[in-house]
Amino acid sequence: MSRELDNAAFLADLRQEIEHHPAVNHVFLSRIACTPFTKEDYAIFGLQHYPLVGLFCTYMEHLLLHAPDSDAKGWIAKVLVDEYGERSDGKDHAELYREFLHGCGVPPGEEDTVPLDGRVIDFIRTHMRLVTREHFLVGLGALGPGHEWAIPRMFELIIEGLRRAGFAEHEITYFTEHVEQDQDHGVWLEEALGIMIDGREDQELVRRGAMLSLEARARFWEGVQTQVVSWRQPEGLRDLRRKARKWVGDTQELLPWLPARVLNHTAIYRTQIRKAALEG
Amino acid sequence: MRILLVQPAPFEDRRLGLENTVWLSEPVSLTSIGAMAPDHDVEIVDMRLEDPRALSKKLVSFQPDIVGTTAMTTDAYQAKAVLRITRQLLPDALTLIGGHYPTFLPEEYREGFVDVIFKGEGELGFRELLDRWSADRQKQPGARQGRDCLLDIAGTEVRTEADAWVDSGKRPWARKLDELPAPNRGLIHRYQGQYFFLGAAPMASIFTSRGCSFDCNFCAIWEFYDRKTRFLSAKAIADRMEACDEPFLFFLDDNFLSRTDRLVQLCDEIEERGIKKHWMSQGRADFVAANPELIARLARNGLMGLLSGYETNDEDALAGLNKRSTLDANKKAAKILRDNGVISTGIFMVRPEFEEKDFDALYQYILDLRVAIPLVTVLTPLPGTEMWRKKRSELLTEDLRLFDLLHAVTETRLPREEFYKNYVRWKSVGHQSRKNYFDWKILWMRRSFYRKAAPNLPRMIWRRLRYERIQFDHKSYLRDEDGIIGVGSRARHRGAK
Repeated sequence: MSRELDNAAFLADLRQEIEHHPAVNHVFLSRIACTPFTKEDYAIFGLQHYPLVGLFCTYMEHLLLHAPDSDAKGWIAKVLVDEYGERSDGKDHAELYREFLHGCGVPPGEEDTVPLDGRVIDFIRTHMRLVTREHFLVGLGALGPGHEWAIPRMFELIIEGLRRAGFAEHEITYFTEHVEQDQDHGVWLEEALGIMIDGREDQELVRRGAMLSLEARARFWEGVQTQVVSWRQPEGLRDLRRKARKWVGDTQELLPWLPARVLNHTAIYRTQIRKAALEG
Repeated sequence: MRILLVQPAPFEDRRLGLENTVWLSEPVSLTSIGAMAPDHDVEIVDMRLEDPRALSKKLVSFQPDIVGTTAMTTDAYQAKAVLRITRQLLPDALTLIGGHYPTFLPEEYREGFVDVIFKGEGELGFRELLDRWSADRQKQPGARQGRDCLLDIAGTEVRTEADAWVDSGKRPWARKLDELPAPNRGLIHRYQGQYFFLGAAPMASIFTSRGCSFDCNFCAIWEFYDRKTRFLSAKAIADRMEACDEPFLFFLDDNFLSRTDRLVQLCDEIEERGIKKHWMSQGRADFVAANPELIARLARNGLMGLLSGYETNDEDALAGLNKRSTLDANKKAAKILRDNGVISTGIFMVRPEFEEKDFDALYQYILDLRVAIPLVTVLTPLPGTEMWRKKRSELLTEDLRLFDLLHAVTETRLPREEFYKNYVRWKSVGHQSRKNYFDWKILWMRRSFYRKAAPNLPRMIWRRLRYERIQFDHKSYLRDEDGIIGVGSRARHRGAK
């Protein structure tokens, strides 16, 4: 099989795998499309999502430094120019996203102070690692197919929910533009990958990057969902667990000779009873 | 043909509610539907017990030809989400929805990602749909199927290829429940042991009748079933009880206590066969009050818990709800159940027009009744009910997430914060009620039940403690309303703690 045909078949398979990935078809996204979440819910959503938006250019810049040749650099630069706002009236994506946050009622500056869910941080760390410490093609797989082929499908569901919540079109430009731009980027990417990939090993590197990115993405959606739920139910299980863990820590200092397994079980149980007694 | 049936979760993952803390029953509607397709490859996914990625993984790995789901009011959006993601992943799969909510408000599901809406009881219509869909597929193997072959199945609305909806009218009810196959519980084998009611676990769920012949104006059951009740014979009930491995059963009937002759026959069957299971159900207080001997016999044959709508402490209000019962009947019923060691779970309602003194009076009434477990709800005009039709113009929201019987969806007389502060006062009423009900005599009388349930006690307490932190925090109700009703509190924090 010629290199072009082999790559074309690989890319077709990879695109299908990405489009069917649980991260891209996460039930949280479908819930967004079907549930009348409020603007306050979307504020929570947006504040957790924003750091990813702000960092995408950083990932790309790191990847640019690692690009092996001018073809690869050229492709990355082309996408970066869009990310800097070439087709968005000079507004970069972070700026567009802040307009969305403003539409949610988030005051300027709050996006820089909000605590992030651990899975959001994990997503960022994973991607930083992929673009700085892994092979160039792994990073390319994560930012290329892992993003460009996934985002249009994910964002279509989000846009349905945003329109239902009553956002004006200009407030959700970040999302609507991404569906359009990432479809273009997807086409460029396919051309670029066709040139850059040479053989099974390269294909496997690209695939690995894409899958690692999507796994982090699935965890990310779960983290965002947890945050959307827990602002309405802040007194849920997590709070109990955190306090129980603290109590376990205290107990371990007092009773160091007890096995940790025993401490874990008894502590959680006793903490609850103690809390119930205090409240009751 | 491959068929995937999906039980939606009523809440987003991590959200706590009654269904993941107090009572999780088997998805009997889906096992009943699944039993109608013995010649096909059927699987059930219960999203209440799965992680959020399970659905898309199953859709991709199983590649079903048909995907069906069901919706009550509180999971109406989640059911839509199931079919929305199905359409995205498997554009050619036939998507079906049935259940109470689509029956009453089919227009809510006339969407591009829904192909067929079942109205009313689904079994016979589903069988007909399967026959037609398979026959059509055999005629044109490999071709993308149109839905024209489904257009006149009674009890359905079908979306045509031109995106129009064809309503084929009502389907007559299956005449006798005994003629329908038993629900295929094998389809949920992998979830066995995870269904529960308070400390009763593992718990199996059985339907022994469908419908209710009363016409309470806040209830949609009688409207769904045209105010008719159909019964499974006592023999069939005993067969199904014996077929369950679980020590605890829940009869999911809308009104289990409704025909004395059948209940006497059931006792005969249980005694003859020597069935030693503990079971719970739902039934009216006036029936209990009128049949004390029968209740005693049912208790000897395993009746361990009964959910009854005591509703209110006000005779006029009871009449206003069309309850057709009396406060005196409530009082007698609570005593009869206690005398027989049956855990009486009494459902009460606070009404939006309540003032502080009304809350006080209701809570005192609950304490006087000495029911074991009071559940206090907020009177809610549920879609499909007479009350909903009358009060629709007064609704502050139609967001179904608040139609969970725990939120006031109409204007309250008290300021909302005060209303919920008074509402959550039933925490102490609940604790006091339990203390009033349980004593050593009862525990000894029903010792075999408590011995079996005892290992579940820590898990039950764990669940209850988790949920009580939300259930009895008045601010949690205001947070739920925030941005929906518009008078709630604002979010205090927006990020991870």
